[in-house]
Amino acid sequence: MVPEGARVQRSLGFFFREAIVRLGRGCNVLRLTFERSIHLWLLVPAGLLFLMFTVFPLIYNGYISLHHFQFIRRIFNFVGARNYIRLFQDGLFLSSIGNTLRFVALATATEVVLGTGLALLFNARLRGRRIMLPLVTLPMMFPTMVVCAVWVMLYDFEFGFLNNFLRFLGFSPIQWLSDPKIAMESIVLVDIWQWTPFVLLVILAGLQSIPDYLYEAAQLDGANGFQMFRHITLPLLSFQIKLAILLRLIDTFRIFDKVYAMTGGGPGYATETISLYIYREGFRYFNLGYAAAASLVMVFLVLGISILYARRMWKELRV
Amino acid sequence: MIRLGLLKRTVLYLLAFGTVLVALFPIWWLVNTSLKTPLEFLGGGMTLFPRQPTLAHYREVVFERSFLRFFGNTAIVATAATTISVLAGSLAAYSLSRFRFPWKLDALFLVWALVIRTIPPIVFVVPLFIMFRELRLTNVRAILILAYQVYTLPLAIWMLLGFFRAIPRELEEAALTDGASRIQALLRIVYPLVTPGLAATAIFCIITTWNEFIYALIFARVPADFTIPIGIATFITEYRTLWGPLAAGSLISSLPLLAFTAFVQKHLLRGFALRGIF
Repeated sequence: MVPEGARVQRSLGFFFREAIVRLGRGCNVLRLTFERSIHLWLLVPAGLLFLMFTVFPLIYNGYISLHHFQFIRRIFNFVGARNYIRLFQDGLFLSSIGNTLRFVALATATEVVLGTGLALLFNARLRGRRIMLPLVTLPMMFPTMVVCAVWVMLYDFEFGFLNNFLRFLGFSPIQWLSDPKIAMESIVLVDIWQWTPFVLLVILAGLQSIPDYLYEAAQLDGANGFQMFRHITLPLLSFQIKLAILLRLIDTFRIFDKVYAMTGGGPGYATETISLYIYREGFRYFNLGYAAAASLVMVFLVLGISILYARRMWKELRV
Repeated sequence: MIRLGLLKRTVLYLLAFGTVLVALFPIWWLVNTSLKTPLEFLGGGMTLFPRQPTLAHYREVVFERSFLRFFGNTAIVATAATTISVLAGSLAAYSLSRFRFPWKLDALFLVWALVIRTIPPIVFVVPLFIMFRELRLTNVRAILILAYQVYTLPLAIWMLLGFFRAIPRELEEAALTDGASRIQALLRIVYPLVTPGLAATAIFCIITTWNEFIYALIFARVPADFTIPIGIATFITEYRTLWGPLAAGSLISSLPLLAFTAFVQKHLLRGFALRGIF
């Protein structure tokens, strides 16, 4: 017979021991589950940031775009698709799409053609290439606003270097940024100056991965320079060229800061782009619903263009 | 490649030198303008070298204008945004480089990052503006640090993914069989190995945020909150011909960026392709 107290004591001890073991096992189970799902937990911080600052804003944008939302006068009324209808009746919005597409086409085409040419040039065995190449790529290292500052100085009608040079040669000066006919081209020129080096680097990377023996074999077969370029270089370079086009397309489409700083969308609305239009509607007039609708139209445009283009690229890559 | 004839060689050299000249001339013009006295500048802007070089514009920019304040704002915002992105991005990139996920969650994550890279940043600005208003968040630096995740997080995830993939799995697996937990293996073995990659990624994040324009323009409404790009833009649009200080300020603010890029020469292409360029 065991005394009553001892039994209680033992069972109490038993209970505690059992509890601790179970708790430990529970912790172990928890730890194991944590360890087993660690890959999901590691995604949580980035996932939360994505949800808060990209997924939610996009969805919220859709919600706002269905409302007449005047921030200053505190108006928030449901209007359905009326913002979108108004957008496509607004000549200014349509012309801003036109201006943007013109900027994208001019800048991308020139940069890719020029960049490819320069890549071929700097792929040749020139002495001093190692010094020249970093110097040529210097423009893309500068902050965009500094680049704008430089070119505003060069373009200035009275004191700018370009017009002084023209006067020196006996020509009449040009209104680079205030003539509506060429203001956009002037901004395109700045973009070309800044980002052609980037295309140059992308293409050069492709060129340097083409093995020399292909050219040697072609030379043995009696191919001339142009034939080698047409049948060896160009086909092997096509992926790099398309990648450069895609990247420049995406980046020129969002053009904002150069236009804002150099012309402010003017003269008149000659250089107004979609980004600038959204900025003006949303943050000068505070028509936030309307600006949200314009933003979504912009998303569809840019995603449509780039997805179509990228899909064609991948298809060709697989074939 | 191919051996070239003398004439061809000369033409190629001339073209190469011409390109270098076109690339460098505007930059030299900036340096030149920053050193000229206002008198010489107004007298006719054709001189390639300043006749009486002066550092007065630099002194004016640093001591008399709020340039230092802009510099500080930019540095704080860029550093904090980068830290958050590199921390969160490295955890995600490690996980994406090592595990398979149900419902193609990994592919979704990476494609979403690319979609964000494609969408113009102005698109997020209306909802973010309302969101920060509703959250009663008024500190512009805090707002910018959070908003810049739109740029830096996709960049960090994609760049780091490459660096993590380059590290052999065997190293951590050895640690795991020795009884280390995943977190321990990650902290003690993987992170030390991937440090150069983390540094390169951080530098590209800093370059991106240092350059950022749209969000800073919309959220920073008073000069005390301006970042450097907004400071320069205000200078360009408001004092069109105060070129000396403008050139001096531009040059000073480019120096950190040039120094940073010099560190990441090896990864230049990937970094510039992944960051949003304007």
